[in-house]
This record gives sequence, structure tokens and C-alpha cells, in this order.
Amino acid sequence: MVNVQHKNLDDQAITSESTPGWKVVWREILYDKVSLISLILVVCIMIVVYGGTIVLEQDEIVRVDLFSIHAPPSSEFWLGTDYGGRDIFGQLIIGTRNSLSIGILVTLLSGVVGIIFGLASGYYGGFVDNVLMRIVDFFMFLPNLLIIIVFVAIVPDYSVITFALIMTIFQWMPIARMLRSKALQQRELQYVEASKTLGSSNLRVMFREVMPNLSSIIIVTMTLQLAMNIGIESGLSFLGFGLPESTPSLGTLVSYATNPATLESRWWIWLPASLLILILMLCVNNVGQAIKRATDARQRRV
Amino acid sequence: MSILQVRNLKVHFPVKGGLLRRTVDTMKAVDGISIDIKEGQTYGLVGESGSGKTTMGRSIIGLTDKTSGSILFKGVELKNKRKRSKKDLRDIQMIFQDPYSSLNPKKRVLDIVAEPLRNYEKNTKWTEKHKVEVLMDQIGLTPESIYKYPHEFSGGQRQRIGVARALALHPKLIIADEPVSALDVSVQAQVLNFLKEIQTNLHLTLLFISHDIGVVRHMCDRIGVMYKGRLVEEGSSNDIYHNPQHIYTKRLIAAVPDINPENREKHSKHRKKIREEYEQTYKDYFDDEGEVMDMISISKTHSAALQRKG
Repeated sequence: MVNVQHKNLDDQAITSESTPGWKVVWREILYDKVSLISLILVVCIMIVVYGGTIVLEQDEIVRVDLFSIHAPPSSEFWLGTDYGGRDIFGQLIIGTRNSLSIGILVTLLSGVVGIIFGLASGYYGGFVDNVLMRIVDFFMFLPNLLIIIVFVAIVPDYSVITFALIMTIFQWMPIARMLRSKALQQRELQYVEASKTLGSSNLRVMFREVMPNLSSIIIVTMTLQLAMNIGIESGLSFLGFGLPESTPSLGTLVSYATNPATLESRWWIWLPASLLILILMLCVNNVGQAIKRATDARQRRV
Repeated sequence: MSILQVRNLKVHFPVKGGLLRRTVDTMKAVDGISIDIKEGQTYGLVGESGSGKTTMGRSIIGLTDKTSGSILFKGVELKNKRKRSKKDLRDIQMIFQDPYSSLNPKKRVLDIVAEPLRNYEKNTKWTEKHKVEVLMDQIGLTPESIYKYPHEFSGGQRQRIGVARALALHPKLIIADEPVSALDVSVQAQVLNFLKEIQTNLHLTLLFISHDIGVVRHMCDRIGVMYKGRLVEEGSSNDIYHNPQHIYTKRLIAAVPDINPENREKHSKHRKKIREEYEQTYKDYFDDEGEVMDMISISKTHSAALQRKG
């Protein structure tokens, strides 16, 4: 008798196939032409930049050449040279690579720290949450520019890695806060309690049960954070607290424009880098917004 | 013989308020309850919302800490959740109220049902899959469905997946916390029959928590009626249904709808009569503060919270 009922129930099974998450994102990007163009641009820039660095040598590019100071664009120097006779086009490629690498590295590092802090404080709640959030507040209150300047003075070997680490110290809090609020919501759902009664450890519940349910939020926040990090890096380098001239970045190129003569008559030094910063940040942001819309059914356009 | 003995269990929650979030009051969710469940028995816990029946189930499985009292499982004291060993957790499993939120939406059925197996046993991928398939067969789903996600199933099917997960470790005691209240009425009976069938086949002990005394009577050997965190009446299914002693039990039974339209008049008259009786005799059943009295024994199997005679 009961078996017959089971059969009937199975006939009623909802058989509709669900669209996987990445497909929804892809559809959203395809539909929104601006974000499609943005994605293509970002991918092209990345291919050119990372491909170009295989051919170009950083040491070659930054070597001073006294015979070709401030040369305008020509067939030899596609985008002219700076006051040290260094090829701007080469610096642009290497610089974009450095800026992008820092952006990606900072995003990943701050993502990892932020995820651990956010999940832990949201999942445990109560006392743990209080302590962890006060730590987050503490880092928020730190005057980051001041501390970065001090770091630059102290750290002797200043490179992409050390700069990324220093930036991470001031960038992980937004992700932690975001994830905390979402983890607090997830914690109340019964699947978390079910997992506990089935003998899963807290760590397992946090990373294997709760985190997959937050994956879309993690991806969205990190993409938008990437655009911001590229901007922050360029800004710091522009002010002179970022990378030294021996490791060019988009920011160091733009900072040549602080010289009035360069700003007025030698556009080829700073304009391409400025445009590239603008394009990169806009494009990454556009892609991030499209992913954000795709993860929320109410905002979806398709 | 009793597999689970609960002695004078109390679960109190502090009510915080006022200056500096001091404890201003305590909410007595469960206030001194003792029950015995024998092996292979189905024990039904009924009561209105907020009567503490869910809290009771949660403190037995260790999701909520008890304030005092003792819970003996197979003669061994169960500690509060943090000190509870994995072995203690293994033999007690729970079926949750809401099949829509109790299954992780990002995991396939295979991973959901295999979760307890992965925590307690070391299986190869193949044996694990085989075990899950056997379980799927037990709950009446096709073996192919292990690769689907929870949202591809109906509510009743999901609840049965929840049951499969609870059964995976062959537990001795299953706590079913209102397992059908989130389901369609048409599916409720199927899930209940299925639970009952599995319970007899596997000789499980079941603590069945529900607010519907009609459902509980259909399922259970013994019934405990809870009100305001205390037991008001306890006895075999027959005792409670045919010879209710406490006025609260009488009202609960009178509230069960009768589907026969010919009896409608009679039923509503009966309900009115019980209500009048409740209003007139309220003082005899509750003490001056409106609290439930202590239990006294009426027959060998039956006891109720009545005023002691004399």
C-alpha cells in the first residue's frame, strides 16, 4: 500500500532542470552589451599585458637612456620616452601588469582574511562576534595613509608582494563585515542545525555548508573590490607612497604629470596610463555589477 | 528497558533587558518534565505553540543547553552540547520541521544524505554511494535522484530525504520535530504512514513532537500533553484519547476537527460544553498563579496534573 503511494509521489517529481549559476551570469553579461564589451576589454588587456611581459624585460625597460630623453612617439618608441629616456609603452605594459597583479593579489588576500573573519563572527555570534568585530573596527579607525607612508619608509625591499601585503591590512574589513551579516542570516536556517546534529564539526559547517551558500556574494564583493584596489594602488603610487620608479605601475606613470612641463607638452607620458586606469576600473566594475545583478533574481534583466 | 529517561528537565532562558542588559526575568520553556521512553516505542509530545515541546526535543539532542535535570540515554547521562562526545550524538538523530530550509540548497542529495556517513564512517566512494542508494530505495525515491539538488523535489519528497539522512547511521532514537506541519495536508498522511512503516520495520524509538493530537494518536503508543512548559497529562494513547482527565487535554481533543458533516452540530455542541466546563473549573486544574500542578498517578499507565484529593 505504502509502496504504491511512493510510486505516485515520484511521478509528481518536479523534473525541470535548473540553470546552473555560471550560466545565469553568462546570460546576464550577454544581455547587457556594456558589460559584455567590458568583459572582452578586460580579458584583452589581461592577455596583452601578461603576454607582453613574457617578451619584455622589466630591467631593460627601466634602464636610463640619456640619448632619447623625452622623445615623442615614433616607430622606435611607440609612446615616446620619459625624462630618463625610458620607453613609455614598455612601462605601460609592465606597469599595468604590476597594477593588475597587486589588485588581484590584494583582492585574494583580503578575501581570504575577510572570509575567515566574517564567517567566524557571523557563525559563532555572541562573544566571538563581539571580539572579532571590535578588531575590525580597530582596523577601520587606523589612519591607513599615514601607516602606509611609514611602512614605505621602513620596508627596505619594496616590491609588488610587500606592497600587496601592506594594502591587504587595510582592505579586508569590508568583506568581513559583508560576510558576517550574511552568515548571521544563514546561521538561523535549519540546515546548519541539521549538520550539527549529524556530527559535523563547526569548521566543517562553516566552510562546507555555510560558505557555498555565500559564494555568489563572495564573488560579487571581490570583483567590485578588485576595481577599487586597482584605483587605490594607482592613487598611492601617484602620491609617491606606492611602488618606486624601478617597478613601474600605472600610478607611477601618471605621477609624471605632477611636472607642469610634462602635463602641458608631453601628453604621451601620462595620458595612456590615465586612460588605462579609467578603462580598467570601469570595465571591472561593469562586469562586477552584471554578476551582482545575476545573483539577485529581482535585479536580473534577462 | 527505557532507552531514554528524562528526569525533572528544566530549560530556562534569561530575559535580558533594562540597564546594561541585565537578566530581568527567566522564561521557563521547559520546567521540570520527566518522561520515560521504552525501546521501540513511539512517544508523542503534544501541546500548543510555546508550550516547550520543541525546546524539549532540542535539549535532548543537544541543540539547546538544559538548565538542570538529567537526560539518560541507555542509562548514560547526556551532557550539554559542548561536552557531548561524538559517540553520544550518533545514536540520536532528528527530523526537522521545515523540509525547505533543513536541506542545504547548494548540495546534491548524495552529499546531503552521505554527510553523517562521512562524519562517522570511513567508506570508499563506491560503498558510500551504494549505502545512499539503499537509503533512497527505503524512502521510495529512485537511485538516480541522488544527483539532483533539493529544490528539484516536492515538500514531501524533501522531508523523506531528511528522514533518509537521519536513518543513515542506524540511530536508536529519532526525534521528529513536527515533521509534517510544513507540508500540504494531502502529503502529510503519506509522510506519516511512511514514518510509521519505517519505525516498525527498523524497530526505531521515536519521539514525535506535534501540536495535532489527532496525528499523535494515529502515530504513538504513549502521549504526553504539555502546557506552559509542564506536563499536564501522560498516558497510553487510549488513556489520553478516551479517558482524558485534565481539562486542557479535553479541550485539545475537542479541537480536533471531525470530517463527517452529519456530526457537525453534535461536535460543535460538544466543543461548547467543554469550553464552559473549562471556564467554570479552571481553578481546580491550575494553582493560584495559573501554573500547572504536579502530576499524580491515576492508573498504572496514566497520570495527570490534578489537585491531590483531600
